Amino acid sequence: MLQYWTAILTEAAIFAILAMGIDMIWGWAGDFDLSAYAYFALGVYMTMVLTIGKPHAPVTYVFGLHLFFPLAVVLAVVVVVAFAAIIGAIALRSLREVYFSITTLGAVWAIYYWVENYTPLFNGYNGVYGLFDPLGGGLSYNAYHYLFFAACLIILLGVYLLVSRISTSPFGRMIRAVRDDESAASVYGRNVFWAKYRTYLFGAGLAGFSGSLFAAYIGAFNPLDWRPTEIFVLYAAILVGGRGNPKGVVLGSFIVYVGFVELTRYIPSPAARPELGPALRQILIGLLIILMLKFRPSGLIPERLGGDGTEGRRSWRTLFAKRTLESKDSDVALGAVSASGVDAS
Amino acid sequence: MSIFWISIGMGIAVAAILALSSVAFTLEYAVSRVVNLAHGEVLTIGAYAAYVAETTFHFNLYECAIVATIFGAVTGMALNYFLIERFRGQKSLSTLIATLGASLILQNLLLIAFGGASVSYAFNQGNLLHVGPFLWTTLTIRVIISAVVVAVLIYIFLQRTKIGKALRAVAQNRELAQVSGIPARSVVMRTWATAGAVSGFAGFLYGETIGTITPTVGNGFLLLSITAAVGGGLGRPYPTLGGALMLGLVMSIAGTYWSSSYQLVVAFGFLVLMLLVKPNGLFVRGKAQTVRA
Repeated sequence: MLQYWTAILTEAAIFAILAMGIDMIWGWAGDFDLSAYAYFALGVYMTMVLTIGKPHAPVTYVFGLHLFFPLAVVLAVVVVVAFAAIIGAIALRSLREVYFSITTLGAVWAIYYWVENYTPLFNGYNGVYGLFDPLGGGLSYNAYHYLFFAACLIILLGVYLLVSRISTSPFGRMIRAVRDDESAASVYGRNVFWAKYRTYLFGAGLAGFSGSLFAAYIGAFNPLDWRPTEIFVLYAAILVGGRGNPKGVVLGSFIVYVGFVELTRYIPSPAARPELGPALRQILIGLLIILMLKFRPSGLIPERLGGDGTEGRRSWRTLFAKRTLESKDSDVALGAVSASGVDAS
Repeated sequence: MSIFWISIGMGIAVAAILALSSVAFTLEYAVSRVVNLAHGEVLTIGAYAAYVAETTFHFNLYECAIVATIFGAVTGMALNYFLIERFRGQKSLSTLIATLGASLILQNLLLIAFGGASVSYAFNQGNLLHVGPFLWTTLTIRVIISAVVVAVLIYIFLQRTKIGKALRAVAQNRELAQVSGIPARSVVMRTWATAGAVSGFAGFLYGETIGTITPTVGNGFLLLSITAAVGGGLGRPYPTLGGALMLGLVMSIAGTYWSSSYQLVVAFGFLVLMLLVKPNGLFVRGKAQTVRA
């Protein structure tokens, strides 16, 4: 039982990191990114091909190195960010809202079919696999997994502290201002594309990083593990926890992930109908997404705009204006600019 | 050169079905301002409805087509009534995410009902025929002709009927249409019924052409429909039609000289190219710096 819970909570911790990455793009910047799971998958693949050594025929994949694990993680994240830089440059340059989502949806399917069919890259449909031990062996199976779980929790805590720090920093407030009103932020001298782009790269990097952790945990990965629909559970988790709030996102990830694994454990999955359990699970996720969006779109712990907990609630507008206008009537001034129809885009 | 013409011939068949599917998708966007990610499932439902009609009730080809159309229409209306109308007034992005949830639900309901294994119709494929430079089966020709007929019917529906005129008015400005005395709600509902019917029929044609039906068959077609609609001009039926024909041909040519496994990669390349060059659509005049819904 202890092993069972360790396994579930390890996965939940890894997915919480991924969810925070997605939430930066979706919750903070307001860009609903459907290709985030491709970044996660790329992180998994890159980490594996950099650590598991040369492929043995008929398996084929690129690199095939035996790198030190942390070095492999760094390289994997760099590759993922470089890749996200291309997609982001295309999708964020002039496309917003549903057009952005459509572009990322196209991107994830194109990447998916490419990886599935082009075997020299990551062995195509069969995927890559290989046992590797970031600690270099010497521990028993159980001890290793407990240690790995503890490491994941510590990393999760570290990432959480970093992300919430950025969230309440001037950058965190600025990106939300850009999300809420691009024209106004632009009038106040903020570079809209650059703000969104940096958030996108950071979020993608976080997704790649969580993929690296997942690679060390799972040890085998093929395209069936990352069908683009797999990501929906994370959207549900973010919606339940609260978009734009790191605390809520971590909470939502644990609730939804553990909740779904536990709930669907009791659904009978007869041998003749192996698809029944997963299908019911997906239906529940779909329902959860729709119901949350309809009845509580801000989630369990709603985002607090501009609040860093110490200064009470302040609207982002006053924060903005303080540094740029030095005027007490800044709200009025900003309103006047918006009302006069200045279109900065 | 003959392989080239044969692949163009297949491209025309796929493009004809794609045209129907993407016009339906674009009509949904036109009246409800929603990118319906559950659109693919309407096609799948049409395909499976015809399959059940054929295997269980032994209907013939034409009766099966009617069954697919009816089930598509009902699904379209249900989507509008239970989902789209409930999210009216919210951001278009929220509705998009909600349709994503609906797509997940419908797809997995189909998986539970029919299993993951592929099924196929038992209709006679007919004879191989040389038509000009093309090589088609009788069934393919029927598919192309019926797609053209449906496209013409949509044109007449939009341009010549009163409801079509009302639809165009609602698409331009729902509130304004409402105060002008057009029952916007019922027009939107009828548009979804029409779009659903066309999608269901397209799903039947697609199942017939590619020969296998699975619970994800429509979802694979969704991205192509979106690409065609966005490439041509989202929310505009005739530009969408042009986009679909172009995409169908591009894909079949790429499939001949490269590999059909990379179809969606080609489609995405096409989509990105369109969005970079003419983000408002290939066949729509005008230019916008930022494209938003």
